[in-house]
Amino acid sequence: MGRFDEAGERRYSAREAVLVVLLVAVLLALFEGPSILHAGERMTGLGGEIIRGVGRPAASASKRLELAEVAHDSTSFLTPNESLGSAGGGFSGSNRSASAAQLPAVTPDAFDPTKLGLPAPPKRSLHTLLVTGDSMSMPLDSDLAQQLVPRVHVDQDPHIGTGISDSQIVDWGKLSTSQVRNDHPDAVVVFIGANEGFPMAGPNGRQIECCSPEWAALYAERVRIIANTYRQNGDARVFWVTLPDQREAAREKIARVVNAAIEVGVQPWADQVRLLNAASIFTPNGYRDAMPIAGAETIVRESDGIHLNDAGSKLLASYVIADLKRDFTY
Amino acid sequence: MIFPSIQFAAFFTLVLPLSWLLMSRPALWKPFITVASYVFYGAASWSFCFLLAGITAGNQLAAVLIGRAQQERVKRGIVAITVALDLGVLGVFKYYGFFAQQTADVLQKVGLGMPLPLVQLALPVGVSFFTFQAISYVVDVKRGLLEPARWLDATVYLSFFPHLVAGPIVRAREFLPQLATPRDPEHVAVGAGIELIALGLVKKVVIADFLARTVVDPVFAVPQAYGGVDALTAAYAYTAQIYCDFSGYTDMAIGLALLMGFVFPQNFRSPYRATGLRDFWRRWHMTLSRFLRDFLYIPLGGNRHGRLLTYRNLLITMVLGGLWHGAAWTFILWGALHGVGLIVEHALGGRVRMPGWLRWLVTFHVVVFGWILFRSPSLSAVGIFLSRFIAGGSATLLTPLVLISLLAVIGLQLIPIGPVEALQVAIARTRPILLGVGLAVVIVFAGATVSSQGVPPFIYFRF
Repeated sequence: MGRFDEAGERRYSAREAVLVVLLVAVLLALFEGPSILHAGERMTGLGGEIIRGVGRPAASASKRLELAEVAHDSTSFLTPNESLGSAGGGFSGSNRSASAAQLPAVTPDAFDPTKLGLPAPPKRSLHTLLVTGDSMSMPLDSDLAQQLVPRVHVDQDPHIGTGISDSQIVDWGKLSTSQVRNDHPDAVVVFIGANEGFPMAGPNGRQIECCSPEWAALYAERVRIIANTYRQNGDARVFWVTLPDQREAAREKIARVVNAAIEVGVQPWADQVRLLNAASIFTPNGYRDAMPIAGAETIVRESDGIHLNDAGSKLLASYVIADLKRDFTY
Repeated sequence: MIFPSIQFAAFFTLVLPLSWLLMSRPALWKPFITVASYVFYGAASWSFCFLLAGITAGNQLAAVLIGRAQQERVKRGIVAITVALDLGVLGVFKYYGFFAQQTADVLQKVGLGMPLPLVQLALPVGVSFFTFQAISYVVDVKRGLLEPARWLDATVYLSFFPHLVAGPIVRAREFLPQLATPRDPEHVAVGAGIELIALGLVKKVVIADFLARTVVDPVFAVPQAYGGVDALTAAYAYTAQIYCDFSGYTDMAIGLALLMGFVFPQNFRSPYRATGLRDFWRRWHMTLSRFLRDFLYIPLGGNRHGRLLTYRNLLITMVLGGLWHGAAWTFILWGALHGVGLIVEHALGGRVRMPGWLRWLVTFHVVVFGWILFRSPSLSAVGIFLSRFIAGGSATLLTPLVLISLLAVIGLQLIPIGPVEALQVAIARTRPILLGVGLAVVIVFAGATVSSQGVPPFIYFRF
């Protein structure tokens, strides 16, 4: 006799088991319909289609009956995510930096002084370094912390699964504002781009699909908002790591556009927002899993063909440290 | 596909009714559940399905051949080849990189450095578990404890999705008899199943992930950034996290199987209540420890050939048990720590009298120390972590919520088991409709505690 028989627990029927599971499914659809739809929108293939197929009517019913709101209000006190509701700097239309009718002004911040024949500005003290981004920023954040702590306070703040082009999970415009408000970092290292390619709302509210020039422009605009936040009017330096080549062609197409958009986005502040070209380090001639490090061929990418592995991350960290040492003392 | 995900919820909502609909017709049910299990496994990567199919085919063929063989030495030979192939598969996926790197390092040190072939292999999820299940099946057939199963039954056994990716390691002797006749649709442990799923969800999503995010991951990533109290908090927090993460997964697996009419063996029995390491291993990952006992420790000779050989067998078993978890010196050291601990217990043989609370305290802290080795990314990180215990610094991570979590996880295991089990039975006997509403509420509230980063993978998925 099994342990469940001893306690007399096998007392219900299969019909009841199925009804319970269906009841749970219906209740979840009613209370979490929007979450289900959002999860489906981030999935590809048949699985994504099925979830979206369930999510659309569920989200509609949930919103109509206001049950999603009930669930959200009842549980909002449990969320570990920082409340970004009151944070400014989000990707709303009112935060656009310039309208199409105006020419953006060129300021001295757009120039690296050394390229104008001027001496480099004096080095600053590095007290707080913020390392942030999506999963691409891991374990770079730990590697940097290993090398800099305790001389520098390193705030590791990755937001896995998020993207600049997908504001439904995290609005990076608001998040960057919140990070700066909380940390006042002297320097920020940003490495993001593994979850991009989502449609973004254009000037007329129309959804712009990746990866057209229009999409690139919208992405660049968001990068500009974030970079401007992080640089804190020149009080901080930003080190934005662009994506190395990706193994999958579909991802590489998105990564290429993302990198181009980042380059454009940070143009107004070449002195304060530096790009670290990971492609030139890891994939100068196209995608590769391994590269020579100290004379030994070393695997530097994870098996997913997207992320850097531990060895790759340590190498990248050495480049970041070299860049930090140009601008900072610690 | 992980259990606490929308994809799995949709999958199970479809599979469960179909499973019961087809249950009375095994000729339809078995292919159906096999396909469903492969869909579940293939959600991670379709290429992994070929590995699972290959392991299944190879081991089933071996079982059939053993069943037909007349001579004992032929049977032994088939088992040896099959186990070698199973372990070879495990070795290639899990250990090639580690041994290649260690060999390269040694060769470099003696001036014989040469580039070794670099192989980038993704570790198939669950390979450690289903290869061990396959080995147990073949060996049990050889020992005469089991007749070779039919091909479809063996396929269902090895691919059954509730236990496929992270156990429990179900023996063929426990599962195949349940396939012999269709599960009784009038006697299903619905209450226990729902209760275990809810409990597992809370353990994993609410407690384990919270401790990982707020305490364990930050401290183990950069221990030098934290003082002694925070390091100690992280050690206790990981002790709680790994229990909640792994037993939470097991609870869900057992609960899902119960809803489908199947009973899995228990995998955890209040392990932090143990008053000795032998006791601990009768409570922690029970299906792995019995596998190691039956297929490694006893075949090595167990305790039948004198003290020294017993100690040798204990050490080998535990070191290999550590290595099973992953290709790293920290896992090997963790296993060795437990091996040495078991040897010391055996050697003392009850000669040292200690009050029960002291035995518990010592055992618990040996286990905690072992988890520091287990969690650290490298040996040097272990050194840095341990050095923090003598560093000053304030307690920045020991918040009230962290303290409550630790006390709840560890403290509840110290409560007498009788009342806890009685409470569990009482809840399991609640009307299913109320349990369903309760589970939905638990899912909504547990989901609210998930950060924007989503639910991290289960720790034991890495093994």
